[in-house]
Amino acid sequence: MKTRFLTTSAVLAMTTALAAPALAADCPIKIGGLAPLSAPGSVTGGEAMRAAMRIAVDEINEAGGVLGCPVELVVVDTEGLPERGRAVMERLITQDNVVAVGGGYHSSVGLASKGIANDAGIPVVFAETWNDNITADQQRFIFRLAPLSSEVAAIYANFAVSAPGVEKVVIIAENTDYGLPASDMTRQGLEEAGISTTIYTVDIGTQDFSGIIQRIRADRPDMIIQVLTGEAAYNFTQQAAEAGIGPGDLIMTCDQNALESAAFWQNVPDGNLCFMNRIGLPVAAYTERTTAFEAAYVAATGKDAAESYAMEAYDSIMVIAQAINEAGSTDGDAIVDALEAISYDGVLGTITFPINSSNTPEQAGVEAKWWHQFPDPAITVVQYQVTGQSSVDAPVVYPQVYQTGEPIWANQ
Amino acid sequence: MEYSLFFWSVMGWMVIWGAIGGSLIRHAYFMRDLDVTDARRVGVAVGAATGPFGLIPLYLKTPKLTRVWKIAPWLGVLGLFLLTFALSDPGNVCVSSGSFLTSQIANGLIMGTIYGLMALGLALIFSIIGIVSFSHGEFYMIGGMVVYYVTAVLLPGWNPLLAVMMACALTFCVGALFERAFLTPIYDGRVERPIEYSILVTFGLAFFLQYLVQGLGGANPVKADAFIELPRWRFPEDGSIIATSRANITLFDTIFVSTPRLMAAVVSILALLALIWFLFRTWWGKALRAVAQDRQAAAVTGIDPRIMNMLAFGLGCMLAGLAGAVLVQAFSWLPQTGAIPALRSFVIIVLGGLGSLPGAFIGGIMMGMIEAAGAGCIPDPTRAAAYLPAYGMVVLTLVLLLKPTGLFGRKA
Repeated sequence: MKTRFLTTSAVLAMTTALAAPALAADCPIKIGGLAPLSAPGSVTGGEAMRAAMRIAVDEINEAGGVLGCPVELVVVDTEGLPERGRAVMERLITQDNVVAVGGGYHSSVGLASKGIANDAGIPVVFAETWNDNITADQQRFIFRLAPLSSEVAAIYANFAVSAPGVEKVVIIAENTDYGLPASDMTRQGLEEAGISTTIYTVDIGTQDFSGIIQRIRADRPDMIIQVLTGEAAYNFTQQAAEAGIGPGDLIMTCDQNALESAAFWQNVPDGNLCFMNRIGLPVAAYTERTTAFEAAYVAATGKDAAESYAMEAYDSIMVIAQAINEAGSTDGDAIVDALEAISYDGVLGTITFPINSSNTPEQAGVEAKWWHQFPDPAITVVQYQVTGQSSVDAPVVYPQVYQTGEPIWANQ
Repeated sequence: MEYSLFFWSVMGWMVIWGAIGGSLIRHAYFMRDLDVTDARRVGVAVGAATGPFGLIPLYLKTPKLTRVWKIAPWLGVLGLFLLTFALSDPGNVCVSSGSFLTSQIANGLIMGTIYGLMALGLALIFSIIGIVSFSHGEFYMIGGMVVYYVTAVLLPGWNPLLAVMMACALTFCVGALFERAFLTPIYDGRVERPIEYSILVTFGLAFFLQYLVQGLGGANPVKADAFIELPRWRFPEDGSIIATSRANITLFDTIFVSTPRLMAAVVSILALLALIWFLFRTWWGKALRAVAQDRQAAAVTGIDPRIMNMLAFGLGCMLAGLAGAVLVQAFSWLPQTGAIPALRSFVIIVLGGLGSLPGAFIGGIMMGMIEAAGAGCIPDPTRAAAYLPAYGMVVLTLVLLLKPTGLFGRKA
């Protein structure tokens, strides 16, 4: 009798253990979404990402869901703050029981929260966190669609070198895990090209730049590169323009939230001739998928185009959904295995993660930062050339391979 | 800094002799049975400014410490500090460029005026009711939001000054109603811990207002158009005396001031003059001051302190609202915009002396100048603006070390 009881208990225990993934797949399947929805985070970017992630989930559910279950998106507000990022990641995992997490805007939030997800075995596909260290420590459950900060810095440095009459550059950067390494890497690239560079740093969410703008003005730079996020970038650009060193007076690269045309022109009426980086396929190279997403996004938000971070956020959810389907399970390890082997045709292009556990950075002969990194997010520089212009109509001015218009150099 | 060793040596000399002077001079006055009220502070200042050369005669003579003794040595300390800085870092833009320095001073004065106006509201509330309002920043935010929604959404084309008046009226009414509804339990002993109650209830109001605005208007940044757009004008023809552009005024080819900020400062000064007139020339103003000086004596003369409480809270909120209303044309505005200005106001009223109205305004000007000096003159550009919130705190700490009641505060 005792033996029979023990055998039954063992079978029950084994069944429970084997059923654990299936239980985790109880409907609906929850996917977390990180977005900054309050200051000092980039609220404009956060709202765009939330809208894009909701579109992704609606499309998934309209197509029958994942593993036969509807998907529920749980969006949390990171506020752009690392401590808040850790707290909401904990909440997503322990209270909301999400099976994976997408989205994410600020690098400092990504760096602070990714360890929690990795320790809990919950896969994260970061959408817009650029810091190289997000992937450089090769955590098993961490993936990224956004470009590496070092790659963007190289683009900026090369762009500055290609601009006429640029001998002195000022970089204005936020003192975060995004701003500090990005500005340092950009300076390295510029100084290798013989361009003198000064970095000014400010707190995230800075509102009043007047003191530092007078100082930059006294420096007489030929070009200003912004490594800021959110509303701080709007404030800096407009205040610089009011002080006579705006994008209409010298060459200036603005933060990519300048791509939010309506918000940009309302907050920066003197922002014409701003250069902005844009992640993802250039408009001329849009695939059917990109065009369809943009149409859905425009209909949902009333904007005139989809921004880089919206595209990345959409793809981060879609790629997770496809990975769960391919894994046939919501188990974290199974999702990671599926992500490592995935080939997903997204709005950013065909997404793969070629540097992974079966093709490590050492085996591939590349730096560790390429671990679980989407290698091909196209990076272009576009420029507003008419006041009030839509970012869709703003021509791509760099690099040459994607160029759709000639840049207007304010200093010429 | 070129000669940092020299700079820090002099600073060390000043600190050591200041400390020696503080204890030595107080001891001298005490031993001779003289008034020691200001002896320590005068000793610190004389020691820091002159070292043993001033301390020895002061120790031997122990003259009566008149107002000259209380002020002149501090000016000496300031002069010695500035001279040391200039000699230590001759290449610093604050030292080498008069035009930059003048611009920074102008900018510091302009921002300081607005800081002062906002802090004045907080000081008014504290001086009459004896509480610190933690919702002060939210009234600042609401002032700006009202101006934006009136001028850009509801009644575009209206004179923005009418919108400013509407913002003042609304913030006054909300403040007065809140005081009636939630602060009256403090006065008649209905709550056991009135100070803690006031902190909690004003914190609650802050969160309520912040999320109410976010719920109604969203969290995206907004910005009102500049109240005045100047025509392009030069006098004389080369603009060497005055040159204006849409958003900027240049005086003597030296001082660059943004028009929205200048406009904000002008409105703030007018509001300040109106407030002085109200406080010193009207019965209501005199009654407010009487309550601030002696609540019970004022009640004996027929002034109802409860009405004065309501008036003070409403006026305090209105001053914060006014500061926001004039600055929404200079900065991008969010529901969380009030957090930093509120923090700054707390620092200012402690610096100026809790409950002192002149102290709050002068503290505001000082804060503006300190921030402008820090952002402009700290040699390391990666730290100059990044440490902006810290400069005021450093000065506050030094002031409180020497005068715990703040610059103009009185002992309870």
